[in-house]
Amino acid sequence: MRYVVGYTANARGHDAVHLAVALARNHDASLDLVLVIPEDSPYNAVYPPEAGYDDILNEQAQRWLDEGLALVPPDVTARAHIRRGDSEAQTLIDAAVEMDAAVLVIGASNNGLFKRFSIGSVASSLLHSSPVPVALAPHGYQRTDPITRLSCGFGTRPGAEELLNVAVESARDRGLPLRLVSLLALDGGSSPGMADAAWMHAAERLAAVGSSAVEGSAQAAEADAPEPEIVVAQGRTIEEAVERLDWEDGEILLIGSSRLAQHRATFLGSTANRILRALPVPMIVVPRDYTRQGA
Amino acid sequence: MSTAPKTVQSKETPALSEKGLKAGSVGLIGAVVIGVSCIAPAYTLTAALGPTVSEVGVHLPAIFLVGFIPMLLVALGYRELNNAMPDAGTSFTWATRAFGPWIGWMGGWGLIAATIIVLSNLAAVAVDFFYLMLAQIFSNPALGELSKILPLNIATTLVFIGLACWISYRGMETTKGVQYVLVAFQLLVLGWFAVSAFSHVANGTAFDATAISPDWFNPFAVDSFSSFAAGVSLSIFIYWGWDVTLTMNEETKNPEKTPGRAATITVLVIVIIYMTVALATLSFAGVGESGLGAGNPENQSSIFAVLAGPVMGPFAILMSLAILSSSAASLQSTFVSPARTMLAMGHYRAISPRFGRISPTYKSPSFATIAAAIAAAAFYVITRTVSENALWDTITALGMMICFYYGITALACVWFFRAAAFSSIRAFFFKFLAPLVGGVILLVMFVKTALDSMDPEYGSGSSVGGVGLVFVLGMGVILLGVVVMLVMYRVRPEFFRNFSRRAGV
Repeated sequence: MRYVVGYTANARGHDAVHLAVALARNHDASLDLVLVIPEDSPYNAVYPPEAGYDDILNEQAQRWLDEGLALVPPDVTARAHIRRGDSEAQTLIDAAVEMDAAVLVIGASNNGLFKRFSIGSVASSLLHSSPVPVALAPHGYQRTDPITRLSCGFGTRPGAEELLNVAVESARDRGLPLRLVSLLALDGGSSPGMADAAWMHAAERLAAVGSSAVEGSAQAAEADAPEPEIVVAQGRTIEEAVERLDWEDGEILLIGSSRLAQHRATFLGSTANRILRALPVPMIVVPRDYTRQGA
Repeated sequence: MSTAPKTVQSKETPALSEKGLKAGSVGLIGAVVIGVSCIAPAYTLTAALGPTVSEVGVHLPAIFLVGFIPMLLVALGYRELNNAMPDAGTSFTWATRAFGPWIGWMGGWGLIAATIIVLSNLAAVAVDFFYLMLAQIFSNPALGELSKILPLNIATTLVFIGLACWISYRGMETTKGVQYVLVAFQLLVLGWFAVSAFSHVANGTAFDATAISPDWFNPFAVDSFSSFAAGVSLSIFIYWGWDVTLTMNEETKNPEKTPGRAATITVLVIVIIYMTVALATLSFAGVGESGLGAGNPENQSSIFAVLAGPVMGPFAILMSLAILSSSAASLQSTFVSPARTMLAMGHYRAISPRFGRISPTYKSPSFATIAAAIAAAAFYVITRTVSENALWDTITALGMMICFYYGITALACVWFFRAAAFSSIRAFFFKFLAPLVGGVILLVMFVKTALDSMDPEYGSGSSVGGVGLVFVLGMGVILLGVVVMLVMYRVRPEFFRNFSRRAGV
């Protein structure tokens, strides 16, 4: 299994490499560091023409990638690629599709005004159009130890079922404890009735998914994975609710893209975007109707 | 867990073979559009027409035609060098190869200086037409006068330079569609201007209707060699950019034929538009030194700013828009050039390696782009403060600077290919004769203009300490280059001692 890492030679790129290493260690995946350098439009009318600039840029890109590879510990396989393209986001998507990547890992912008996550233009276009799940490393992500717990953001919107499938299978494959975070009650205040309803709903879904997963795979013995935990996030705002939840250092949040998304493309809805800003751990945005590629 | 070696290069895409330009993406029309946009005819005409008229009067068409010859000759040599040694340093690298590090360094300096000067002039022209357009939009001539208030003018120009620098730093580029529209719009508006001017002449409503005479096309009728040299060095400026069509290669759909054809069509388009506009301007306004006359020093720094209104009436706003858009687009793309030359010089350690830095986020020359902006801003502030007519004097100094570095580049071509010069007729012509004649013409023009410009009355008539400002600007920049070069020799002598081994072509 391959993970494509959108690498840039700055803090953002380093965050991405760290997260990719952490993810790969659970999953025996190899990394493909992709550095995108811009493709000059001949219509930009650069004068006088300077043909050799490319060589200098390529040389620099090569050195940057060597630095990037040096961040990867010896137990993880990594390759480096230089790609040319007008749009960094589109070039990364093309690379991920071409390499049949299971996930595209990028760092959130490092010059944002908001804490932790602030979506840079590249990340933002990826989240709006990637057919591959996008893993976002928060600003300053240093951890390279394996992921310790998988959380799944869970709502009532269409697509929740598929996302839950992805989460259950993913947790099973990685041998990680799964936690369902119900986001139902977020905007409705903290009435206990709603929290209970949300809990019930999540449990029902989980049961449904769990039984079908067992049918599908004989190896998925109940004993292997501990019973998923279900929590209901509460707070006056989404940000507060996310902050009130307790997050493990090695945790990662799986979240579905909005129902506005085109078939098989991620689209970060406003709710997800707000979660992102408050979240202290990395998150993976799964495109709608995404089915995981083989274990 | 797999423990395969980590530093595997991508097998699917050999990283180093990927070129920065999409191969085979430019057709004939595209190449012509690129050529015309590099020349930016609306901007060059408004900047150079007046100063050229002040030198050669009605012989403007003749000088515009003659001025193309050395440009063509030098461009042929430029193409040979570009094919043999494609390099980001262009003139710098080629002249270093041919004549060693000292002349090479100065060639690079000349190229950087020329592009820095044109940046400040482009920004200034854009600012003039920006205020003029505001005046036209709000029908309030007072707004147009704002550009004459020195502090406001300088502040606005610095903002324009800053914006263009930021856009260039971010690596944003003009796309195909935008470039097509800009070029078509420029040609359309210039054509409109010419047709309106001729119809004023025909209707007897022209300012100073002057009958076109064959004598206008006779370059030998120019009064003096001084005027001739000044006129030619200015017309080098108006064709500056045309050679881009010759150096296009893999990016064209048919590298065998497209560049040659595009160069021919581009020059035809440009000559036709220049001739038409030059004749229209002279016929409409004459070369009188009062009122709207093209000989009036008041009008010469930016001829269309004065003439577009009387000629085109309410549609003059289109002229402002055409010049504003074309100079703004050129401002942004021109930033790339000095930045890359400085980057190459930094890369080869001819100047501080800081200039060789590339932004990890935007993958553009970071330090060099900002340095180019600071230099252009400083050049503008100094010229604007000292000169009575900054636009005019910068354009004249620019003509000199282009002659200087083009001349060096052309002779570098002759010297570099000297062994192969007589190997075939083609080589003799393209690698020897054409660049030799072109280079000599340009260097003669350079020396003559430099000597003449010592006269305090030269150009707009500004002077510093009894010496003409154009001389001070032109030679000052070159002398500054010599000083910086000597400092560099002290600081990093390695470049000057063993350049050929370092860059290893």
